[in-house]
Amino acid sequence: MKFQNAMMAPLLSVMAVAVGFPLLYSFWLGFTSYQLVSGGVTDFVGLDNYIRVLSDPDYWASLSATATYVFLSVTFELIIGLTIALALQSQKWFTNFTRSFLLAPMFITPIAVGLMFRFFLNDQLGAIPYYLDQVGLSYDFFGSGRALISLAFIDVWQWTPFMVLLLLAGLESIPKQPVEAARVDGANRFYIFRRVTLPMLSPILIVAVLLRGLDALKVFEYVYATTRGGPGIETKTIQYLTYQNGISYFRLAEASAMAFILLIIVMGVIVLLFRRLERVNVR
Amino acid sequence: MNRFKLIDAGRILLLVVAVAAVALPLLWVALASFKTPADLNQPGILWFTPTMANWTEVLSSDIFAAVGRSVLVATITVAIAVVVGSMGAYSIARFSTGGSLSRFGILAAQVLPPAVLVFPFLSVAYMLRLNGTLVPIIFSHLSFVVPVVTWFLIGFFAAVPKEIEEQARVDGFGRFDTFRLVVLPQVLPGIGAAAIFGFTLSWNDMFYGLILSPSNSTILPVAIAGFNTFRGVELGPMSVAILIAIIPVVIASFFVQKRLVQGISGGAVKG
Repeated sequence: MKFQNAMMAPLLSVMAVAVGFPLLYSFWLGFTSYQLVSGGVTDFVGLDNYIRVLSDPDYWASLSATATYVFLSVTFELIIGLTIALALQSQKWFTNFTRSFLLAPMFITPIAVGLMFRFFLNDQLGAIPYYLDQVGLSYDFFGSGRALISLAFIDVWQWTPFMVLLLLAGLESIPKQPVEAARVDGANRFYIFRRVTLPMLSPILIVAVLLRGLDALKVFEYVYATTRGGPGIETKTIQYLTYQNGISYFRLAEASAMAFILLIIVMGVIVLLFRRLERVNVR
Repeated sequence: MNRFKLIDAGRILLLVVAVAAVALPLLWVALASFKTPADLNQPGILWFTPTMANWTEVLSSDIFAAVGRSVLVATITVAIAVVVGSMGAYSIARFSTGGSLSRFGILAAQVLPPAVLVFPFLSVAYMLRLNGTLVPIIFSHLSFVVPVVTWFLIGFFAAVPKEIEEQARVDGFGRFDTFRLVVLPQVLPGIGAAAIFGFTLSWNDMFYGLILSPSNSTILPVAIAGFNTFRGVELGPMSVAILIAIIPVVIASFFVQKRLVQGISGGAVKG
């Protein structure tokens, strides 16, 4: 065997066992009537699971809740993250401390973050509703029409640091000359940012948004920790719905079909992301 | 010049607000861990007599068994990931093995929704009678830690100059010895960062743990969630458990932050 292939072989074997096999198995499960409790009796049922899932209004509601969640959280993470990155870039004192501290949330166990906010925002035990109450405001963070926004807010708290990390690195890798040249030409700060900095930042900006979007699609822990899909099915995200179908109702086949539909969406985004990354690499 | 002072003031204010936004929820949990149930019912209370009851309760419970299992799972997963990942990453970075398909496959694998993979792990675990052990969890964690670690390392291997390898070959090193004795030491900081990052990913995962771990001997994130579900709300002890899960990874994070960007972007952006 050629040396370069011999070096790849262990990686490929592990990936085949841990990713390739389950992926194929799950794909096959989606076409059977497999249920965990039926003792492994499996009939091939063709596209039945897919048809059932796609004609289920709950699935569509879940897709739209997930899409709203991803859109809200990634948008705010981008805006806040870019602002903080710009502020950090020209910071002079306490730089190491501020950076390390501001990045900390992205390393915390998501379930811990979820539970922390569940009680921080709880209308009887939480600090935020308590202080809101002191100034005469009452706001139920996990009420109807608000729960999904609160969940997105939790995502923003934990993952804005990821945006800051990537965007700050992007900002610092931008060459100084074009900015200097624009300044010499008398352009103001805002103009320089919009016409010089932003275009040069855009490759890493897009990569950061796509990576965050893909990750936000998988939201599970916050839902599990706070709303469990409620009120009603408002916050039942795809990953949570799939979990419920597979684990609480033992419908593994249907759950696999659900997961695969999500996978097709994800694959589309990955192709986009990969093209971007290749282009960043070439530069 | 006044306008620029104003911008600076705004900038500092923004950073102060950001630091406070990160710190306040964490401080609140830290305070809650020293409160009695009666004090916990008064969220506005700042002056209270601290109690160690929550800490003694949690520290004498079986939480350290869960911590131990999490450490075991993460260590085995990361050890495998670093060995196969560094060899594979070297092969991809140095010889572009598999062309862009390798890179694409690794990127795709690390963003795969866990819901796609978890049910096969579950049903195979049942078939092989491995349910009730940590083996299925280790395999499920390999599914995301291996691609992330490999992706992370590609950029670091690509940054090693070819010349030192050629020199080693001239000096009579075999190909594998060149990799092991000459190239690996060059990327050791990257491997360290990748290992710590992979460890936190495994340590933080709850989805696979929740579905695959045996209910009586679970891993830490699932154990934390248990404070919320099965025994009613035990806010005090839960705060302690949250802190136990948070503190090690936050400390670990300080060591990897500098190299994180280069790793996450697969070498596309130098940190």
